Amino acid sequence: MAHREFSRGVRRAVDSLGNLPRSQCERTIRIARRSFHGSASRCVSTTTVRSAEFTSDTQEKFTAAPPIDFGKASGGKGGGKRLLQTLRVVPASPSYFSAKPTFTDDYISLTALLRRVATLPIIPTSEAPKVAWKTIDQYRIMTNEPVKTQRFHKMLHVLRRLNCIHPTLMPPEVMQAMQRYKKDVQPGDIKPAPGVIDEWGRAKGVGRRKTSSAVAWLVEGEGEALINGKSLAQFFGRLHDRESAVWALKATHRLDKYNVFGLVTGGGVTGQAEALTLAVAKALLVHEPALKPALRRGESVTANLLPFHPPSRLVSFPSEPHVRRPCFICSCRLTRGGGRIVVTSPA
Amino acid sequence: MIIRSLAARTCRALPRGSSLQPLRRFLSTDIDSIESSADNSFKQLGSLEAQLNAQVPQQVPSASSETQASSPAAQTSESVAEQYHLYKQQQQQLGHLGTEISQHYQPHTLLNNPPSAADVTLELLLASEAHQGHATSLWNPANARYIHGIRQGVHIISLEVTAAHLRRAAKVVQEVSKQGGMVLFVGTRDGQDRAVVRAAELARGYHLFERWIPGSITNGQQILGKCRMKVVNEKDEEIVGFEEQLDERSVLRPDLVVCLNPPENYVLLHECALNNIPTIGVIDTNADPTWVTYPIPANDDSIRCIQVIAGVLGRAGELGQKQRFDAAAKGVITYRPAKDLTMPEQDTSKDKAPKAKVDLSRTFMKDGGLEDADELEGKLDEANNREGSGRRIKVVA
Repeated sequence: MAHREFSRGVRRAVDSLGNLPRSQCERTIRIARRSFHGSASRCVSTTTVRSAEFTSDTQEKFTAAPPIDFGKASGGKGGGKRLLQTLRVVPASPSYFSAKPTFTDDYISLTALLRRVATLPIIPTSEAPKVAWKTIDQYRIMTNEPVKTQRFHKMLHVLRRLNCIHPTLMPPEVMQAMQRYKKDVQPGDIKPAPGVIDEWGRAKGVGRRKTSSAVAWLVEGEGEALINGKSLAQFFGRLHDRESAVWALKATHRLDKYNVFGLVTGGGVTGQAEALTLAVAKALLVHEPALKPALRRGESVTANLLPFHPPSRLVSFPSEPHVRRPCFICSCRLTRGGGRIVVTSPA
Repeated sequence: MIIRSLAARTCRALPRGSSLQPLRRFLSTDIDSIESSADNSFKQLGSLEAQLNAQVPQQVPSASSETQASSPAAQTSESVAEQYHLYKQQQQQLGHLGTEISQHYQPHTLLNNPPSAADVTLELLLASEAHQGHATSLWNPANARYIHGIRQGVHIISLEVTAAHLRRAAKVVQEVSKQGGMVLFVGTRDGQDRAVVRAAELARGYHLFERWIPGSITNGQQILGKCRMKVVNEKDEEIVGFEEQLDERSVLRPDLVVCLNPPENYVLLHECALNNIPTIGVIDTNADPTWVTYPIPANDDSIRCIQVIAGVLGRAGELGQKQRFDAAAKGVITYRPAKDLTMPEQDTSKDKAPKAKVDLSRTFMKDGGLEDADELEGKLDEANNREGSGRRIKVVA
């Protein structure tokens, strides 16, 4: 039985082998007979059927313009003698009829550029260089065109993809093209001068809050504080203000390692105390720059000059109920009603 | 019998299992041994280093892998660039080797090198699915003369008619481009943008791949008023000095509109009809052929078909522009010049290109006669055509 099966299989295999070259031959002949363009033949449509999106009964009937009579319309002969006879008025951009020619041209040129450099190696978005792109309002002012937000975001998408090209292989023309869409000032462009410790071991820091401004000098010492010539307890009556004046030292457990000299002017007591917070924190950062993350967690280096929310907001929502919520400008610990969220000591 | 069949069954399976498994085992032991020997040699190297460091005051550079990868980020970035260049080099050297695949569909070729009207064959149209209509229930009976038959409940467009209409439309685009007309290519469906932009680029025309803003023709001054215009000479070089006149000038309108998806562009085609602007449209079996002046019966749902049609029309426009430039080189102006333009002041004309300046000095001598000619022309225009500047193609006095 197995033998019979085997022989049948062999016969079938030989048959198929015999058939194969002939069919391939025929196919090649058929291909050769076909003309140049008929190479791909598919009979099943890959596109979906689109239903008609118009209804004839609601739309006004119109008749299209008649065909052009080219016979009667021919150009002038010998008109090139004079300049005015040769001038035409044409749109400056091929995107004229989109009503946003600059934006459309920008988008087309960026997508064409991306198509050209699409095969270059890329880096993940998180590792790409940080770029501040122009906002849509800045772009609208630059082009003076009513650009839609969605279209602008499509363009930003292309720009972010271009920014992800591997930095060692970034083509110069891409850098040049991206320059147009970057803000004038990029993150990291402005670097404040590093603070210095003078010959007496003092580091200076300046802080402001509401209408108060404070200057604080920090020297290594035993934890004494002198504000406008008075001790901390003499100068600030409230316990809370005493604490917030040296909050930066307390949050980083440096209360017994530095002496503070402070000069405060202007404003009320609370404002002066909180101006000192920032001044002391800045002075501490000169001594120990590595403390910055800890101070950030302790919320003492965030400048917060605004007394309350802008008046316009209060005016526009007069009947809004009195809600405790963090400041929407800098997410500081001030709340709408002037109350404070208790800050827990940093980890 | 049973033994024989058993042998036949097992013998087939035998070489597969038995021959490969021991091989794999050998391989794995091999790797293990290589690894262990490498470890040993590293250990020896390390001990040698330690001995050397003890005797020599200066440190010997270490060969261990930890110290080599001291700056991993810099090294990988270096290597990425190197690897990429190596890959490119190898692709250049070895890319052409191997099997040669002849005559296959490459989607980008229709955009990079679109066919001209002479290249239009029924095979090309069939391959690009130009014949596929819509389901028979969706048809517009006005398209009956373009329909070849019904297959599986779908209308099949006659490709002979498609080819003929496409060639006629190509002639129209060519002639309009030759006579300096503005050809606007419109394709507002997803995926049509590249074909539209490419056709406009070839034909030196204009493109629209987003929504047509209603009123761009009938209320153009409000919508296109801010878009910049320019004055060009017969070689399409910009002539400066006319900016003040351009600010007061009315907005421009296309002289021919090519619409690749008429059903979605009712407003556009209606405005064109109101303003006597001829239109070319790709008419599927569900579209109304009376909306356009020159219909091209074809499948407007196939991107490939749209690319073929837009490419053919773009190539035709390219040919027409070439004819116009050839004529201009011989001193023949094939278009009607712009009306109501006056020569700017002498001091502003100093900014112009030197060639334009020569023309300018020649023109000023005949300025008196020119104004009369303009007036006469304007009156003739008003009599002939109520749109005034609607039809640009006209005999120049």
